Amino acid sequence: MHSLQHILRRAARSLWEHLYLNAMAALVIAAALLLLGVYLTVQFNLNAIVDTWDRDIHVSAYFHEDVSQDRRFVLRDQVAARPEVAQVRYVSPADAREWLLARVDDIGPVLDELGPDALPASLEISLVPTQATPDAIAAFAASLAGPDFDDIDYGREWIERFNAFLSLLQLLGAVLGALIGIAALFLVANTVYLIVYNRKDELEIQKLVGATPTFITAPFLLEGAAQGLLGSILALVGLWGVHRLLVVRLQDALQLGLAGELAFLPWSYLVGLFLLGVGLGVAASFLSVRRFLASAP
Amino acid sequence: MIRLYHVTKRYGDIAALRDISVRVAKGEFCYITGPSGAGKSTLLKMLYGAEHPTEGKLLLGGVDVSKLPRRGLPALRRNMGIIFQDFKLIDSRTVAENVGLALEVIGTPRATIDRRVQAVLGIVGLRGRGGEYPPTLSGGEQQRVAVARAIVNDPSILLADEPTGNLDGGMAIEVMEILQSINLRGTTVLVATHDAGLMERFPYRSLRFEHGRLVQS
Repeated sequence: MHSLQHILRRAARSLWEHLYLNAMAALVIAAALLLLGVYLTVQFNLNAIVDTWDRDIHVSAYFHEDVSQDRRFVLRDQVAARPEVAQVRYVSPADAREWLLARVDDIGPVLDELGPDALPASLEISLVPTQATPDAIAAFAASLAGPDFDDIDYGREWIERFNAFLSLLQLLGAVLGALIGIAALFLVANTVYLIVYNRKDELEIQKLVGATPTFITAPFLLEGAAQGLLGSILALVGLWGVHRLLVVRLQDALQLGLAGELAFLPWSYLVGLFLLGVGLGVAASFLSVRRFLASAP
Repeated sequence: MIRLYHVTKRYGDIAALRDISVRVAKGEFCYITGPSGAGKSTLLKMLYGAEHPTEGKLLLGGVDVSKLPRRGLPALRRNMGIIFQDFKLIDSRTVAENVGLALEVIGTPRATIDRRVQAVLGIVGLRGRGGEYPPTLSGGEQQRVAVARAIVNDPSILLADEPTGNLDGGMAIEVMEILQSINLRGTTVLVATHDAGLMERFPYRSLRFEHGRLVQS
């Protein structure tokens, strides 16, 4: 059984003797993680914005003109009591008229022509965040349908398009992330293979004196972990720098009007990136050594 | 110790070895000789598992090496020592580290490795030279380091592929004398060579190959 001390000693020696190549491998890992981190930061903030918008999505239920005032209030209270409803607001014809006058220029004469009850009364209903999905909103709207309401409106088409856009974005992001990961894996593996190739004479001799694949592979895995560790640290520091640059430059330049500034990734994401970097280093080393061991016996 | 039964080795249409059947007894010293391309190195490669026979069976200490899977090679090679014409030493490691590698791969404790290395360096006449690096040694000294590495774990069989090929007369004789002394301790020794003068000076059984066939045993 090979002692950990033996393996650590050999790994440390190799790290030192091939400092340049090991540094290159670490930089490739850092670059890949930085790209991935930037993408994750953008998506994280985008999701946060969408969450805000989701909470603002509401249903407008327009009363039939024959529904009495008392009936309208009863319906309001019934809707408010439903668990999926966060808030209900009754909008009278007069309120609706005021709202429209404030937002549309020159509409006053038209409304005067149509009369004081031209606009229907309505219930403006906000759903709880957990119900702010296209299917849940559609189901809720369908449940309200009946003789009391002329129309139930919830921006269906817009929601469906927006969610389709988000799904596409997430899919693209996943594909992009996977491609970056695979590219990084092969780049690092080829860099590590240079280290392995540099030592091929030594490794061939080890095989000739009876070294097992484990004996040969173990130090390389430790080297890979060290490359990943360094690469992860560099990437996280770089990501912080890029984030500060973006917060300062973009927010002013684009006047995005975001609620708060661009957030940095939470700890769970950072730990995930860190572990991914270490894993990338180990995986690349494993692939490279395995490629060598599969060659001449 | 070593038995070949109708062993043939082909590389495509070319037969490097043809229908070889031979037996080498335990503790025997044997030459594998013949002109270049006769199949000497091919035979040695099959003995240490770097090649498999195309046909036939090859037994080494009762183990059928011809059917040995790749994962069985480390165990096979730990029971043998191998010496090459080009020494195959690690230039960035000291003499002691080169010799100790054969013990390091089997997990021998450091103190034991140091003790055994010093002992075998004494056998090959390099006592006190463990801290030097191979490039600073002469050809004969480097080959003696290779011999030391090959015998440090007391192998039952020693394979030498043209061990004196890169050495001048005096150094070649030194190395052969070391191999002779190893054989006298009970190790089976096979030496591939085409040096007729050496075989005359150190006469032993000779397996002569020509065009892949065993013509003399």
